[in-house]
Amino acid sequence: MTPFLETKNLSKSFGSTDALSNLNLSIHRGEILGVVGANGSGKTTLMNILFGNSIISETGGYTGEIYIDGEKVEIPSSADAIRLGLGMVHQEFMLIPEMSVEENVTMGKEASSSLFHKKNHALGWLNQTKNQAFCKKTMESLGMDIPPKTPVKFLSITLRQFVEIAREISRNPLRLLLLDEPTAALNYEDSLLLLQTLRELAGRGVSILFCSHRLQEICRICDRVIVLRDGKQVDEYTGQEMRPDRMAKAMIGHTIRTVHKTASSSSGETILQFSDYQVAMPADELRGLNLSVLRGEILGISSLSGGGKSAVGYGLMGMFPSSGRVQFHGEEISSFSATKLMRQGILLLPDDRKQQGILADKSVTDNIVFTAFHAGARFQKRAAGLFFVKDKKAASAYASQMISRLQIKCSSPEQPSGELSGGNQQKVCIARTSAMNPEVLFVYEPTRGVDVEAKEKILELLVRMNKEEQTTIVMISSELDELVRVCDRIAVLCEGTLSAILPPDATEEAFGLAYAGEWTHD
Amino acid sequence: MIKKIWKAEIIVPVLFILIDILCFILSRVSTGFLVEQVSVRFIRNGVLVLSLILPVVAGMGLNFCVTVGAMAAQAAYIISLNHNLYGGPGVLAVFVMTIIFNLIIGFVLGKIMNLVKGKEMVTSIVIGSLSNYLYQLIFIAGYGTILPVHNENIILKNGVGVESMVDLKTYKEFFNSFGSVKVAQIPISIFLIFMVFLLAFGMFYLLHTPFGKQVQVMGYDEKKAQTLGIPIDRYRIYVMIASSVLAGIGQFIYLQNIGTLNTYTEHLNVDTFSCAALLVGGASIRRANVKNAMVGVLIMHTLFVVSSIAGQNLFANTALGEYFRSFVVYGIITFALIMNLRIENKKRMTG
Repeated sequence: MTPFLETKNLSKSFGSTDALSNLNLSIHRGEILGVVGANGSGKTTLMNILFGNSIISETGGYTGEIYIDGEKVEIPSSADAIRLGLGMVHQEFMLIPEMSVEENVTMGKEASSSLFHKKNHALGWLNQTKNQAFCKKTMESLGMDIPPKTPVKFLSITLRQFVEIAREISRNPLRLLLLDEPTAALNYEDSLLLLQTLRELAGRGVSILFCSHRLQEICRICDRVIVLRDGKQVDEYTGQEMRPDRMAKAMIGHTIRTVHKTASSSSGETILQFSDYQVAMPADELRGLNLSVLRGEILGISSLSGGGKSAVGYGLMGMFPSSGRVQFHGEEISSFSATKLMRQGILLLPDDRKQQGILADKSVTDNIVFTAFHAGARFQKRAAGLFFVKDKKAASAYASQMISRLQIKCSSPEQPSGELSGGNQQKVCIARTSAMNPEVLFVYEPTRGVDVEAKEKILELLVRMNKEEQTTIVMISSELDELVRVCDRIAVLCEGTLSAILPPDATEEAFGLAYAGEWTHD
Repeated sequence: MIKKIWKAEIIVPVLFILIDILCFILSRVSTGFLVEQVSVRFIRNGVLVLSLILPVVAGMGLNFCVTVGAMAAQAAYIISLNHNLYGGPGVLAVFVMTIIFNLIIGFVLGKIMNLVKGKEMVTSIVIGSLSNYLYQLIFIAGYGTILPVHNENIILKNGVGVESMVDLKTYKEFFNSFGSVKVAQIPISIFLIFMVFLLAFGMFYLLHTPFGKQVQVMGYDEKKAQTLGIPIDRYRIYVMIASSVLAGIGQFIYLQNIGTLNTYTEHLNVDTFSCAALLVGGASIRRANVKNAMVGVLIMHTLFVVSSIAGQNLFANTALGEYFRSFVVYGIITFALIMNLRIENKKRMTG
């Protein structure tokens, strides 16, 4: 039986770096094929080629051949990929934030009626009722109940992920679904829901190409897994051979040392105090938080999706209306804006890489020192005794130190950041934060979408900042296993209020109760 | 939250309605006069403003190339007169020529715009100016030399070049001969008002089709649109064609309504006035709809009518009145642009 999709000697290079070399891959109908690999191993490039994303054609195209149903095909654009029955869930969501959930889900397959054309013609009148019903039905099949008229920009990252998935799985015909880190923004329960949906799709004969850093998940859902390293396939596992530890080793090429925080460096003095703090963030509302952050600690904040954890920092950044009191060093913070807080020494690092604002055409070095140079007056020197200019020597020394410490994969410190893979851009953002040397640092999902090794590097840097620079760190994350490794205390929120503050060595049962809001102190 | 943003979008129109009322009181003109003046101008300018909507929605900014579409309509009138086509057949000939010319112009403009992605507005200004000189060259030097003259009445005494003022009374009379009502002694063609509304509805319809939705997606984020399988290059050409054809029809209506054609200057300010009207209606260079266009035309032309008279009354000087009017128009563009961009930025911050 011919496989649904086959590639022969598929290669792609960006400049002098080979992103993918001589990949031979096949996917059968109804098969779920896992693709794992470290950041920059070529997973996203593979998907971009198959989906005809413009970045491939703009950078000189690919070499090799792609066969669908045994016939050779060219996929010069995404429109062609969709016509061939492909769908793709993008790691960087392809959602239009200004548009509603319904408009996003039905995009490209809107129902319309017309007197002159056949049904669903591009020039027919949009059928609102049908489109909304379609959107509702699709979202419900994913276990989500969102009013179709809600603008996507008011949704949390988790919900956006589901909208992104809903748009793709509702394509007709859908024959191959490409998923790039679909569960990165989801917690355990939500990702189970997704995996179940994928199983159903596969049961109907849809082939699935599944990329994830969560190796457990890969083992649970995939029929077969291939491991990529530096653009080459290094291993393949099926059935019982699929084990997370083996895959991790094959991905990295060596075993990984995990980071653990040692003794607490907290002085016990309160640095930041939230009193009855409320944030009106849709789908993730915070309804009165009372919490004190101690100087020098790493405080974890966690909750199920919609529990209010992301509202804590977004409220401080002034992105949603908030009320209540927040005191920094005993003084009340009067206006919430990221810039003002940065001057006072509170830095916020959001979870959306786009919002963190990688300057794509600037070099890695420039990106790392940018904020510190402009807002923090670091890496400056006087030129002719008059003007402040960038101290290139200090800046590049610092950047190289960061590049090696975080193992940022780049051809040189002068490479434009836009050419780096997603996970490496994440590392650049973390390095930039560290250059600012803030007093209090808020990080959201710092390890979202990065591979197992990069994860440890990032956690290590956070622990090191905390230890060496006495930076107080508030880490907002849904990855409980990471929180318990690096945090001194973990605040668990439920339905927008504080449910419990637990030590990292608390039992799983205690955390489970706290997430559900049923933890009582005894 | 949603309510607050929606309110912000009506700040500009509301502010200008207040200015309208102020100028109306200062000008001391009668309501009848104002209604007649504004409805005539509504017919004249309405379709031109409609032609700007699609490029804005598609993320290509304000299309200053509506001048080219307008010039094509003027050329159609002159060609028709030159071939001695008057009345009904003449109108039909002009209309058909306008459409054909603009289909071609729109296609070429679309191709050019695809080459200069991200710089559409500046490019359209430059192309608009360049076309102006090409147009002048053809009608000053072309007729009587290369192009044969069939109608001596529209040609200058020396036999070369078209007169700077051409009479279009024959076409105006054709439209006034049926379905027109008199407001303060001036006939207003119901047929043309109907046509403006029909085209406005057509644009409204287009924005509510899957095509319109996908054009909007393009306007929000071109890269994403491409990845979502929207054929952006092709759609951008469609958008420019639609815009040019509407601009042509707009100038077609405008000219027959005026009844005379200033061959070399008539098209000069259509782009700025139309853009000002759209902006006053609450649109920005990224967002526009039919409501913005219609409301904008009404507000802008009310201001246009009353501001000069208000200026005259205020300063007791006719020249100052004229100055006051120009000042108001350019003030509108600057102010509306800045206000709209501020609102946009605020929106992006909260989004």
